[in-house]
Amino acid sequence: MASIKKISLRRREEFFWGWLFILPTMVGLIVLNIIPIFQTIYQSFFKTGDFGRGNIFVGLSNYVRLINDKDVWQALANTLKYAVTEVVVSIAISLVLAVLLNKKIRFRAGYRTIFFLPMIAAPAAIAMVWRWLYNTEFGLLNNLFGTKINWISNPNFAIYSIAVIGIWSILGYNIVLFLAGLQEIPNDYYEASSIDGASGIRQFFNITLPLLSPTIFFVVVTRVIGALQVFDLIFMVVDITNPALTKTQSLVYLFYRYSFTQGNRGYGSTIVVLLLLVIMFVTIFQIIAQKKWVFYN
Amino acid sequence: MIKKFCIFVSFALIAVLALISAGSVSAADKLIVGIWDTNQQAGLQEILNDWSAITGIDAEIQVTTWNEYWTVLEAGASGGTLPDVFWMHSNVSQKYMENGILLDLTDRIAASEVIDMENYYPDIVDLYTYDGKYYAMPKDIDTIALWYNKTMFDEAGIAYPDETWTWEKLAEVAKQLTKEDKSVYGYAINTSNNQDSYYNVIYSYGGAVISADKKTSMLADPKTIAGMEVIEGMLREGSVPDLQTISENGTQVLFESGKVAMITQGSWMVPAFRDNEYTTANADVAVLPSGPEARVSIYNGLGWAANANGKNPDEAWSLIEYLGTKEAQEKQAQLGVTMSAYIGTSDAWKNSVPGFNLEGHLNMLDETLVIRPYSRNTTVWETMIQQDLGPAWTGEKTMAEALKEIAEKMNGILAEERY
Repeated sequence: MASIKKISLRRREEFFWGWLFILPTMVGLIVLNIIPIFQTIYQSFFKTGDFGRGNIFVGLSNYVRLINDKDVWQALANTLKYAVTEVVVSIAISLVLAVLLNKKIRFRAGYRTIFFLPMIAAPAAIAMVWRWLYNTEFGLLNNLFGTKINWISNPNFAIYSIAVIGIWSILGYNIVLFLAGLQEIPNDYYEASSIDGASGIRQFFNITLPLLSPTIFFVVVTRVIGALQVFDLIFMVVDITNPALTKTQSLVYLFYRYSFTQGNRGYGSTIVVLLLLVIMFVTIFQIIAQKKWVFYN
Repeated sequence: MIKKFCIFVSFALIAVLALISAGSVSAADKLIVGIWDTNQQAGLQEILNDWSAITGIDAEIQVTTWNEYWTVLEAGASGGTLPDVFWMHSNVSQKYMENGILLDLTDRIAASEVIDMENYYPDIVDLYTYDGKYYAMPKDIDTIALWYNKTMFDEAGIAYPDETWTWEKLAEVAKQLTKEDKSVYGYAINTSNNQDSYYNVIYSYGGAVISADKKTSMLADPKTIAGMEVIEGMLREGSVPDLQTISENGTQVLFESGKVAMITQGSWMVPAFRDNEYTTANADVAVLPSGPEARVSIYNGLGWAANANGKNPDEAWSLIEYLGTKEAQEKQAQLGVTMSAYIGTSDAWKNSVPGFNLEGHLNMLDETLVIRPYSRNTTVWETMIQQDLGPAWTGEKTMAEALKEIAEKMNGILAEERY
């Protein structure tokens, strides 16, 4: 009897402390994320009055407008283009760089610092600098190559120019995660395979990639979610009269324009609900698809 | 264990309470003044300092760029905090007044010994009057004029622009001044600010942007289209930079770096051109060209408004009252910040920048003045126009096509505005 009572007392205490420790995160999540999600969904059924007062219930009419809004579907296409470019290219580059930086080379710490540096700069500042690099008239890029390319105002490729900025600024983050994953891989595998005569490239594809796949999966999922929410780069780089605007604006950019610039929070919320659904489906798909390519040992 | 935890929590609560109360106690020893134009900051701060010297209350200017200004102000009005005193603009003044966001100044103006609303340009007063009540103190008045690069005119041997010019003449000279390798263009259209470029052309051709009752778009009116086709002509001739270049740089930068020979700009840009070495050496001002109907400048004026739910309404009024006095308005003109809304103070402004012949701007006051087109929610259709004119700038659509489509969209927006 005495021992059972002791266990349950201990359990109770663990229960109490356990909840206490996650309480700050829980409160933060509920107040800052969960409640706003439902408020946003709620708002998407309203026509917003001036300054958010006197909202009128309009049923599904915001959704009808959304379905017929060419700009929204173009923005969805832009967002996906951006996300795919940014995630695929940045992961490919950072994977190679991480493997190289994992080797014993001179100035390793120095290189790691350099690649991580873009992460600590403010995105707005990065965007401003790149905007000038890309400038058609006075930009460094065009001056260097002696060209006159409209990097950020040609509707055909402006979104990729913006993706390049995204890739450049996210490399460091991916590299750090990959480095951590690489250090988990036991050296024995490499030793054994090199005795068997495997080249560095074969080792990379047959040992490094499979054993790193859980990390790659994590990076892909979080980066896709992040990239689908791209806003600041586009907002800073593309001016309102830029002819490439409709071909570069993302869903969050449209949300910002409707909700904040035009004070139409109802329609803005509708756009965000669409984004929420897109992110949800993409993420569920990835979690199902991981069974095909992620190896947990 | 629990006891220790309780003690910890209570300490934490006390600390939080202490912080909250410290925040609310802070008295009105400093007013926050919100504006969007960096060019005016230094001059206005000087005027605010004069007020501080009289009242002993500090006033600090916070500058946010034009686009973000309205976002921040709207968020502040919807439940956050607004600056104590801030600029109001005709684009949104109606909406702000109707919703009681702005402090009603009527009684205070009536009681004031130094303020008489008769002293200001009546159109500007009207912008900030709703239901017979005043909600802002007129701050300034602006006109558009033609800025040109003297050096480029001299080199090409062309006479400087004067009051004989028409918009056709401008198009013709713009073509002559454009260099073949496109290193210099004759003129540049500001695609992101209608007031200082194509609106003037529209009205001088007898067209309009919005009907007088603010219910219908006038952009598909034949006269409007005729005016805009003059601009289309310049675009097709290649005597203005393409939309890409303008949207990346803005007309101001292009003019200041000697890439365009002429631009039309507002009088609020004088401080910027004064502080730029290149423009002080090379630029000058003339009146706008005239159209078949008239010589028109779109004009506008800002107002000083206060927060209706602010903590310091009396201090805010004291500042606004001071800013409305002849003394402060004259100083604003003298410092070359802007022309002032106080009638008869503009001569001081004319002499504020000796390098430029500011009569170009001043004389526009005697021509046909059209108040900047607005409705309850101007921003919505204005942004739409800016974006949808894009295909007309680039040549994907003809100007007439684009304008007809825009007019239809604008009518939809205007209908929605009225509920």
